[in-house]
Amino acid sequence: MSTMTRAITTSAVPGRRAKVKRERYRYNTRAGKVFDVFNVVLLTAIGLVALFPFVFVVVRSFASETQLASSAFFLWPKEFTFEAYDSIFSTPAFPRALITTVLVTAVGTIIQLFLTVLMAYPLSKKGLPGRNVIMSGVVFAMVFSGGMIPTFLIVKDLGLLNNYLALILPMAIDPFSLIIIKNFFQNLPGELEEAARVDGASDFGVFWRVALPLSKPVLATFALFYAVAIWNDYMSPLLYLNDSSMWTLQMFLRQVTSASTLQTAQQDQPGFVAPSEAVKYAVVVVATIPVLIFYPFLQKHFAKGMLIGAVKG
Amino acid sequence: MKNTKRRTVLASAAALCATALALSGCTSASSTGSDDSSASLKTLTVMAPYLTTQAPAATNPVGTALDKVIGTKLKVTWVPNSSYGDKTNITLAGSDIPDVMVIQGKDSGFVNNAEAGAFWDLTDYLKDYPNLKTNEPDVQQASSINGKVYGIFRARDVMRTAVMVRKDWLKKLGLSMPKTTADLLKVAKAFTDDDPDGDGKKDTYGIAIPKWPGGFATNSPYDAIETWYGAGNDWITKGGKLEPSFTSPNWIKALDFEKQLVSGGYVNPDFATLDSVDWNQPFLTGKAGIIIDTYSRARQINGLLEKQDPDTYQNMVGVTGNLVGPSGKMHALPTAGYSGFLAIPKASVKTEAQLKSVLSVLNKMNSKKAQIIMNNGLEGKNFTVKDGKAVAVTSTTATDLTNIVASYAQLGTNVTGNKFYPPAQPNDYDQQQYDAEVKTMNSDAKHAVYNPAAAFVSQTYAQEGATLDNIITDARLKYIAGQSSLSDVKAAIQLWKSSGGDQVISETNDLYKKSTK
Amino acid sequence: MSVQKFDTVTQSLLVRETGGRGRAPRGKRKWLATFNRYKWFYLMLLPGVAYFVIFRYAPMGGAVIAFKNYVPFLGIFGSPWVGWAQFSHLFGSPDFVRLLSNTLILAALNLFICFPLTIVVALLLNELRLTVLKRSVQTLIYIPHFLAWTIVAALTYLLFAQGSGVLFNFFNGVFGTHVDFLTSPGWFRPLIVLQSIWKTTGWGTIIYLAALAGVDPNQYEAAVIDGAGRWSRMWHVTLPAIRGTIVVMLILSMGSILNTGFEQIYLMTNSLNRSVADVFDTYVYFAGISQGSYSYATAVGLFKAIVGVVLIGGANWISKRLGQDGIF
Repeated sequence: MSTMTRAITTSAVPGRRAKVKRERYRYNTRAGKVFDVFNVVLLTAIGLVALFPFVFVVVRSFASETQLASSAFFLWPKEFTFEAYDSIFSTPAFPRALITTVLVTAVGTIIQLFLTVLMAYPLSKKGLPGRNVIMSGVVFAMVFSGGMIPTFLIVKDLGLLNNYLALILPMAIDPFSLIIIKNFFQNLPGELEEAARVDGASDFGVFWRVALPLSKPVLATFALFYAVAIWNDYMSPLLYLNDSSMWTLQMFLRQVTSASTLQTAQQDQPGFVAPSEAVKYAVVVVATIPVLIFYPFLQKHFAKGMLIGAVKG
Repeated sequence: MKNTKRRTVLASAAALCATALALSGCTSASSTGSDDSSASLKTLTVMAPYLTTQAPAATNPVGTALDKVIGTKLKVTWVPNSSYGDKTNITLAGSDIPDVMVIQGKDSGFVNNAEAGAFWDLTDYLKDYPNLKTNEPDVQQASSINGKVYGIFRARDVMRTAVMVRKDWLKKLGLSMPKTTADLLKVAKAFTDDDPDGDGKKDTYGIAIPKWPGGFATNSPYDAIETWYGAGNDWITKGGKLEPSFTSPNWIKALDFEKQLVSGGYVNPDFATLDSVDWNQPFLTGKAGIIIDTYSRARQINGLLEKQDPDTYQNMVGVTGNLVGPSGKMHALPTAGYSGFLAIPKASVKTEAQLKSVLSVLNKMNSKKAQIIMNNGLEGKNFTVKDGKAVAVTSTTATDLTNIVASYAQLGTNVTGNKFYPPAQPNDYDQQQYDAEVKTMNSDAKHAVYNPAAAFVSQTYAQEGATLDNIITDARLKYIAGQSSLSDVKAAIQLWKSSGGDQVISETNDLYKKSTK
Repeated sequence: MSVQKFDTVTQSLLVRETGGRGRAPRGKRKWLATFNRYKWFYLMLLPGVAYFVIFRYAPMGGAVIAFKNYVPFLGIFGSPWVGWAQFSHLFGSPDFVRLLSNTLILAALNLFICFPLTIVVALLLNELRLTVLKRSVQTLIYIPHFLAWTIVAALTYLLFAQGSGVLFNFFNGVFGTHVDFLTSPGWFRPLIVLQSIWKTTGWGTIIYLAALAGVDPNQYEAAVIDGAGRWSRMWHVTLPAIRGTIVVMLILSMGSILNTGFEQIYLMTNSLNRSVADVFDTYVYFAGISQGSYSYATAVGLFKAIVGVVLIGGANWISKRLGQDGIF
C-alpha cells in the first residue's frame, strides 16, 4: 500500500540540503511540543468516548434485574451479580458453541485469507491477459449479489448443508479485501522481483519468497477482518446449519438475547421464566471480548518500517 | 479493442447467468419422513420456533412422554424464534420440508405461498376430528385466509387488554380505579398535578406510552382507547360494507381525547421515542401511574415490584380490564384469539390419505393427556396437582423440564379450550389477582369488538400494508403531539386512500361479499 | 536505482521473451505461448475465479426474481413473470423522490464527514510517539464497531431523551432552548452522523494505519535533511504515501454509497421524523422484506447495484485521469 516508487531522490522541499543532523526529526520545536500535547489529550478523549458505552454495557451485565428495570443509568451496580453470566455459561450448549466458533473462525480465516491472497497476486500484474475481465467481474460482484435464497440453493446443491464449510466458502473471498491486497502487491518495488529472478525464482517463487513476506501488515489486517466477519456471522449458521448441536456462538447468543427481551405481547408460556435483562448485556460482552483479545496480537505486525533494509541501493 | 472486451464481458456474464438459472431451477420438492400407510404414522416431522435459550435435545423426557401418548415419534426441528420468519421462507424454497410447520402469522409471504398451493386447505377436514373441531369458530374464521383454513390455529386468550394503576397513589388522592375513559382522564390529571407520591415535587405523571413498534390496529394503547370510543377494531361495518375504523367520526373523537392527555402533560414527554423494551421503567421508578397494555405486563410488573419492595408491593398495583367510552357502552378490544397456526405443506404430505394420518396425529396431540404434557409437563417431576392447579416443583431438574415444556407448548393448538391445569400462583395475593383477572376477562369478552375483516387479506394490503399503516399512525402521532391540525389528519386519510387505500377497501369488500354468499 | 513497479517487471520480461519489441507469435501459438508464459498466474487464479463463479455469479441468476413475483413454494422458475412491475412499483411510488433525496443526503454526509475524519484520526494516531498510548487508543477506538446498533440506539436515547436525557438537559439548560433531538426532523441527520462517526471511525483507521506502517522512514529522513518541519513532512511525505490507499478506499466506497444501513436508521425513526428518516433500506424493509416480498427487495438491490457500478466506474476513470492507479 505504500507507494515506495515515489523516487526517494525527489526532494520533499526543493532547495538546498541542510547539514545532516542526527537530530530526531525535529519534533522538539515549540509548535511540535504543543501539538503533541494536544494530540495526546485529543486521542485519549476519543479513546474514552469510544470506551464508555462498552463500559456501560459491562456494568449493566453485572446488575440485578430489578436495578435494570428501574434505573436507566448507573455507573456501578448496586448488587453485583453474576446471574446473567451464569445463565449463559451454565447452558451446556454454550461451551460447545464457543469451541465450535473458535475452530471455525481459525480454520476459516486461514482458508479465506489464503484464497484471497492467492488470487490477488496474479491480478496485480498489469500485463496479464484477461486481468481486466476478471477485475470487472470482481467489482460487479462487490456491489451486487444474487440474494439470500439463490445463494442458499447453490450451497444446498453442492451438498454443503449441515457442513461447517458452508460457513467458510460462500464468503471466502471478499471483493473489497481482494482489491486492496491486489493494490498492495502492485505497489511493491520492482527491483525486489528483479533480484529474485536473478536468483532463478519462478513466478510463483517470487510470490512465495518475496511478495508474501513483505505483506505482513496487510495479511495481519485482513486476517483480522476475515476473522471478525466469521466470528460475527449470524446469517450463515442460520441458513445452512439445521442441526442445533452444530451451532455457533452468534446463534446461541442471539437466541439468549431474544429470550430475555421477550415482549409480553407474545403469548405467556405457562411456567416459562424469562432470563434477566442483564443477559442481553452479558451477551454483548461475551461475544466481543474474544475479538478484543485477538487484536493486540496482530497490532505488532503493523509496526513501522517493515521495508527498511529490503532495498539496498 | 474496447468493444470486444465489453462484448466478452457481456457474453461471459450471459453464459454464467444461464448456467446459474439452470442450476437454481433444479430444486425438486421431495417428500420427507411420512409413511404412506393411512394407519397411524410412525414419525412426524415438525418445524417449530423456540423462545428459550436452548432448544430441547433430540431425545428428552417430555418428548418421549408425548410420543407415547400420541403413538407417533415426533421429530422436531427447533428454530430460534428470532429468525423464524427467514427460516420458514428458506425451508419452503428448499427441498427438506417437514410434515407440519408452525406458521407465526399471516404475512404476505405465507399468503402467497398458501394461495399458490403450498399448504393444504383444511376447512372441510377438521370437523371430522373431535379434538380439532374448534369451539371457537369465530377465531377459526379470523385465522383463515379469504375463506380457506390453512392451518389449525394456536388458541390464545381473547381478552388481554388491561389497565394497571398505582393503587397506593389512588388511595392517597382518594380516588378509585378508573372505569370509564372520563375516569382515566381524571386519574391521569390527578397523578400529574396532585403529587400522589407525596414528596412535594411535581415529578410524576399519568400514563406511560412507548413508541409503538407495530402498525395500525396492533393492540397499542392508542388502539385500545380508540376502540373504547366506539371507533371499532381496525375495520367497521357500515351499511353492509367494510370501512377502515379511522374513517369513523368516533376515531377523531378518540384522537382528541388522546391529544388532551398529551397536551395536559398527563403522558410521558417522550411518548414518541420511548423504547417499548423500557416500558416498565417509568412505572417502576415511581414516575408514571398508569399503563394500558395486557395482563401479562401487569403480572410482570407485579413480579418486578415484588423483588424491589417485597413488603409493600401488594398495595401498589391495581388492575382492571377495558374501560367504558363516552357512549356508556363497553367496547372491549380483543386480541385475534390466536397466534399463528400449524400448517401442513403439500410438498411433503402428498396425498389425502397422508393428510388424514397427519391430522389424526394432531388430533391426538390436542387430547387432554397430551395438552398436560405440552403445557404443564410431567406430573410429579416438574409439577404436582393441588386443587386442580399445577404447582411448580422447585429443583434444577424441574426447571430444566419446565423450559423444555415451554418449547413443546409452541406445538399446542388448544382449539377446543384449555384442558391442562392452570398454573397455581406462588402466593395468595397473586392468586387473588389472577382470579379477579379471569373474571374481568370473561366479562369483557362478552363485549368484544371483533375485526370483521380479520379473515380477508387484500392483495394490495399484503404488498403495501406496512407503508399504508405508517401514513395513519404518523398522522395520529403528529396530531396528538400538537404538530398538526385536524385538516392534516383528514389529508393523511385522503393520502392513504389515494396511495392504495382505495384498492384495499374495494378488495376487502369483494372478499367480504364472496364470503357472505 | 530503477523504480519499476512489480508488475511492469513481468511485462518487460514478456517483451524480452517474445522477441524484442513485443512482437508476439500469431494465431493459436499466441494463445499457447501466452498461457504457457503465465501458467503460474493462471493456476493461482483458478481457485479464486472458481469461487466467484460458483458462489457469486451462479446465485446472481436468481436475481431474475426482480422481474417476477417470487413465491418460495413455486421456486424461481415457477413464479409468475411480471416484467418491470417491481421497478415501476419502486420508481412510481410517490415516496421515491423523498427516499432518493434522504438516501443521497445521508450518503453525502457520510462521504464528506466520516470518510475524511477516519483519515485524520489515523494520521493523528500515527503522530503519537508513546507506543503504549498509541496501542491502547487503537484498541479502544475500534470497540464501537462491535456494539450492535441496538446498543447505540439505546445509548442515544439515554443521552438525548426528552426530559430524562443527560445531554438533552445539558444542552437545553445551557442554551435555554427546547430542542427535542429525537423527534425533530432537523436533528435527525446530525444524530445519525454522530452515531456513524462514533461507530465506524475506529475500525476504518485500521486500513490507513496498516498503510502508514509501510511508509519508509528513509523518506522522513530525506525530508528532514531538506529542512522540512513536521507539518511539511505530513503534507509532503505521509499523505502522498497513503494517497493510493485513500483513492482506492474512496472508489470502493462509491459502490455502496446507497447503502445507508437499515438497522441504524430504523431504530432512530419515529412518526415525527419519518419525513427525513426514510431511506431505501427502511422502505424496502417495510414494503418488502417484512412481508416476505423478496422480489421487491431484489429489484431495489439491482437498482442500487447498477448505480454503484456506474459510480465506481466513474470514480475509477476520474482517478486514472488524475494520475492515480484506480482499482482496475
